[in-house]
Amino acid sequence: MFITLSAASPEPMYKQITDQIRDAVASREIGSGAKLPSIRELSEALKTSVITVKRAYLDLEAEGCILSRPGLGSFVAAVDPAQLRERKIGEFRGELTRIVRTGAKFAIGADDLVQLIRDIEEEQNGTRS
Amino acid sequence: MEPVLEAWELCKRYEGFSLSKVSLTLLPGTILGVFGPNGAGKTTLIKLLSGLFPPDSGEVRLFQLAYDDHEREIKDRLGYCPQEPPFYPDYTLVETARFAAPFYSRWDGALLYELLDRFRIPAHKKFRLISPGQKTLFSLALALCHHPDLLLLDEPAAGLDDANRRFLLDTLRAFAGDGEKAVLISSHVSDGLDEVVEQVLFIGAGKTLLAAEKEELLARWKWVHFRDNALDKALTAKLTAIRRHPFGSAGLCQDFPALREKLSGAMAAGDVRIENARLSDVLIQLTQGG
Repeated sequence: MFITLSAASPEPMYKQITDQIRDAVASREIGSGAKLPSIRELSEALKTSVITVKRAYLDLEAEGCILSRPGLGSFVAAVDPAQLRERKIGEFRGELTRIVRTGAKFAIGADDLVQLIRDIEEEQNGTRS
Repeated sequence: MEPVLEAWELCKRYEGFSLSKVSLTLLPGTILGVFGPNGAGKTTLIKLLSGLFPPDSGEVRLFQLAYDDHEREIKDRLGYCPQEPPFYPDYTLVETARFAAPFYSRWDGALLYELLDRFRIPAHKKFRLISPGQKTLFSLALALCHHPDLLLLDEPAAGLDDANRRFLLDTLRAFAGDGEKAVLISSHVSDGLDEVVEQVLFIGAGKTLLAAEKEELLARWKWVHFRDNALDKALTAKLTAIRRHPFGSAGLCQDFPALREKLSGAMAAGDVRIENARLSDVLIQLTQGG
């Protein structure tokens, strides 16, 4: 798992943590049942407070992404991948809205954007193979 | 454009300390920050620049003039705030100001009392009875009120609260902003002053560690956060101050533009994230890094 915190980001620290752990779960980087780092361990590694990490874990637990077992630690819940995918699409919608609006200012329409996305995909596949 | 301040290879030796071959040039309109750890020689440098004592070797010129034969004219145009203002403890601020006024051709008493009002410093109090932060502000007000062309401020932010620190920074920006005057400030903590300086001079153990334009410096120095195994050995070797932890590692790179292309693939894949370094990161690396 790869987690970084940015002091320059407008997002609060606890949200940066929840977002990155949720992404790791959604992308199957950490599978259901896997043990998460302890709150203390993560707070030491990220040089942030225990309270911040605790808050992040509580939020993840509330949304059903992780399970906390007293005395044992926190584990990835058996999450529905479709649901996390749905959520990610929601996030993309937000980011794309900004891009589509900016595009409109410069007469760059949906067709141009789709073409761009296909080009990028091709490039990525090209470099991978 | 003629420099407001120039110094060539200044050396000064004391028992147990020596400042060696520090040079600098300050052009009109710029703010230079001199940063270094405690005992690096910042105060010695500023004292040499303000003509308190001569260097063992090297040369200082302010406004193209040397202290040897133009001391009076230089000091008339120089606003100097020492780290510990040398005022008589039992004089009130009004008395101190009255004592200082005749030394300056452009003395502006109205400006002084306007500044003291703004800082909410009672002018009839004795100097020894005002707080350390107020002493700093009083010294700053005295330096500003004779309309100098150059400000030399030694640790000006020490003891200031947030609002006064903000006022100090705004004042310095406005002062240098007319394009004719210049400022040199020193501090052992760069955080908080870094937003206002355009040029930086890092010194450590009496020597110049680095002199650069701030923006140029920060374009080159970046924190590289990376997923384990995302970088090969050659790339990792370009990073310093590496911090490893189970959830990714981070290192400081000193020449980001040279690495950008090599990192771009991993950046696009989300395996590398770049974050701006701060002046304090650079300074700590220069003074303590291997």
